[in-house]
Amino acid sequence: MTDGVTQASGDHLIVFDQVNKWFGNLHVLRDVGLRVRRGEVVVVIGPSGGGKSTLCRVVNRLEPINSGTIWFDGRRLPEEGRQLARLRSEVGMVFQSFNLFAHKTILENVTLGPVKVRRERPATARDRAMSLLDRVGITDQANKYPAQLSGGQQQRAAIARALAMQPKAMLFDEPTSALDPEMVGEVLDVMTTLARDGMTMVVVTHEMGFARHAANRVVFMADGQLVEEAPPAEFFGNPRSDRAKDFLSKILTH
Amino acid sequence: MRTKPLVALVAIAGLALGVAACGGDDKGGGTGTTKTFEAGTTMERLNKAQKITVGTKFDQPGFGLKNLSGKPEGFDVEIAKIIATELGIPADKIEWKETPSAIREQVIQNGDVDIVAATYTINEPRKQKIDFAGPYYVAGQHIMVRNDDSSITGPDSFKDGTKKVCSVTNSTPANNIKKYLKDEATQLVLFDIYQKCVTALEGKQVDAVTTDNVILTGFIANNAGKFKLAGTKFTDEPYGIGLKKGDDKFREFINKTLETIFGDGRYEKAWRDTAGKFDPNLPAPPSVNRY
Amino acid sequence: MNVLVDNFDVFAGGFWVTLQVCLLSTAGALLLGTGAAVLRISPIPPLRWMGTAYVTVIRNAPLTVIFFFVAFGLPALGSNAAFLDIPGLNKVFSRLGIDLPYFRFAILALSVYTGAFVCEALRSGVNAVAAGQAEAARALGLTFTQNLRYVILPQAWKAAVVPLGTVLIAMIKNSALAGFFGLSGDLSQAAQDLAIVKALPVVPVFIGISIGFLVMTVPLGLLLDRVERRRAVAR
Repeated sequence: MTDGVTQASGDHLIVFDQVNKWFGNLHVLRDVGLRVRRGEVVVVIGPSGGGKSTLCRVVNRLEPINSGTIWFDGRRLPEEGRQLARLRSEVGMVFQSFNLFAHKTILENVTLGPVKVRRERPATARDRAMSLLDRVGITDQANKYPAQLSGGQQQRAAIARALAMQPKAMLFDEPTSALDPEMVGEVLDVMTTLARDGMTMVVVTHEMGFARHAANRVVFMADGQLVEEAPPAEFFGNPRSDRAKDFLSKILTH
Repeated sequence: MRTKPLVALVAIAGLALGVAACGGDDKGGGTGTTKTFEAGTTMERLNKAQKITVGTKFDQPGFGLKNLSGKPEGFDVEIAKIIATELGIPADKIEWKETPSAIREQVIQNGDVDIVAATYTINEPRKQKIDFAGPYYVAGQHIMVRNDDSSITGPDSFKDGTKKVCSVTNSTPANNIKKYLKDEATQLVLFDIYQKCVTALEGKQVDAVTTDNVILTGFIANNAGKFKLAGTKFTDEPYGIGLKKGDDKFREFINKTLETIFGDGRYEKAWRDTAGKFDPNLPAPPSVNRY
Repeated sequence: MNVLVDNFDVFAGGFWVTLQVCLLSTAGALLLGTGAAVLRISPIPPLRWMGTAYVTVIRNAPLTVIFFFVAFGLPALGSNAAFLDIPGLNKVFSRLGIDLPYFRFAILALSVYTGAFVCEALRSGVNAVAAGQAEAARALGLTFTQNLRYVILPQAWKAAVVPLGTVLIAMIKNSALAGFFGLSGDLSQAAQDLAIVKALPVVPVFIGISIGFLVMTVPLGLLLDRVERRRAVAR
């Protein structure tokens, strides 16, 4: 089904062309080219330090790039300023460490963006926030502060916060890496539902199970390069590159 | 070993004699030879110790102002030096202590100083705590205005509330002028030093500066053609020498000394060398007040 | 202690003047300091330089020098700081509106001086806010100013409460200097005049002045302690 959607829409929401990025002398993105179709779920995997997070963070320019071009929804990424702020509001982002606003309740966290950025009426924003919190299963936590929630609940709240902006795409930067193992599942469930509902997603993760059943495409990244990309069944069943074989043999034996 | 104290005593006596001789043809105080004082008096104690501690201002031009070598200069300082001389103590044996207005009674009561000569106005509240010899000079509060301003003629000119006047924080002149003001908040400006008042007067932030005449004439002399005095002085500030309460013999000694120098030219010379540079009019020596 | 009781009106009058100076200067310093802190963390280099220059110059100059430049420099430039004669505010603080500029000068000098310290206290608070907070706000599409206003500063304030308190208490005590730069009738001055005019003993007079300052600083300290404790609970 998902395959049909991507083929039907045809055009690409996120496009990387010859993108390079350095941190000092460290070349973290090397001539990266990537196209993400509308409604597609791309899971980025690979060894730590391979540039996965950076790939995710350059899409909404949380990190600027040094050369190359990135298009989002047919437009080049603008420079710092109001244009960029508008683009960011169309791209939801979920962080490894949740980054919920510590001084605001869960509900306030979810309504801040719609009210301040989208200028929605507070009542409207509140209604949608409550339905989103219901969707991620934490309505009863709405008036608590982030520190009062478990890690899994916080990450679900963070997903609700990103969704409240009604984004065109969602970026997940290792969303389960900071969680206790028993909480990973509840977050992945939310993400799976989201994927099934047709959200365009770029997910950096170490959760191979999620990659297998939710991704349209797996991108394997190492040393700043896209080494290999393929549908999950193909990638996990028959990896072509030695790097990917090596990586998979290491993680799948456990 | 035994002879040494004796030698020292002789040396001191000789020194005292020498100083007294330098004093010249004075008739008062000592007899011109060795100074001897009645046993048990402050004069004898100071003379024996060959040391006197004098409190004065270090920041009052013409009266007591510390020079670059750290020694105070001025009319108060000269008067104190004369008193020391009459006690048989050379000027370089005087220990100078800075005594700002607020602490003068206290240092006398504590015995930190032997006398205070520090533009020290004789008044009743102070007499409750210490005694005054003198006065040796009658200063008076005056008003200085810009040279082209004829609208202020005296302290009464402030009563309508339109004119602004400047003085120094925590000073008698500042408090004296208050009763002529309609509203302190809109008329009175206070700085830490008079120079700032003068700047404000020049810049027209204020219309007048008020303090003792001696200080004002100093500024008029230093800023030729810019300022003038308005009206006449409107207070009498008799300057006295402060000393410990009840020490009547010492007080009488200083009173006599003052009366002597009023007539023998030393008073006039002290004035000419110091405050007289700003105000060449020789003040009429006041009559000593033996209250 | 009769000195204090008998001259209560003098102490009270001086206290009121000093309190006005402190209230207005606190407002001014918080405004200037917040503005400077925003400049110092802004993404635009020239603005950052402006903020840094302000803090560097003002924080490293003695307060008397600042007072001097305000009280004598501004008049030389033809300004009487009339912009501080704010309609409405001058009804409560009537001295703001009077012809004599030195009350306004005192507030300006104290605000400018203290603002530099407020800026640094706030900046230390901003640095205490986790980087992820600002990042999450940016990712939502908040602009720089919205980010500051809704996410960073509300949290920075809390982290800055303790250093800010120290800065403001220091300012209250610094206000005693205003009496030497044109202002008449503030607490230290009004009280010290008692020692001059009425020849009252100096020690009780200074005890009275100290009490006046403690009445301002101790409640401020207690208030800050409370704010700090509430913050600890909220976390």
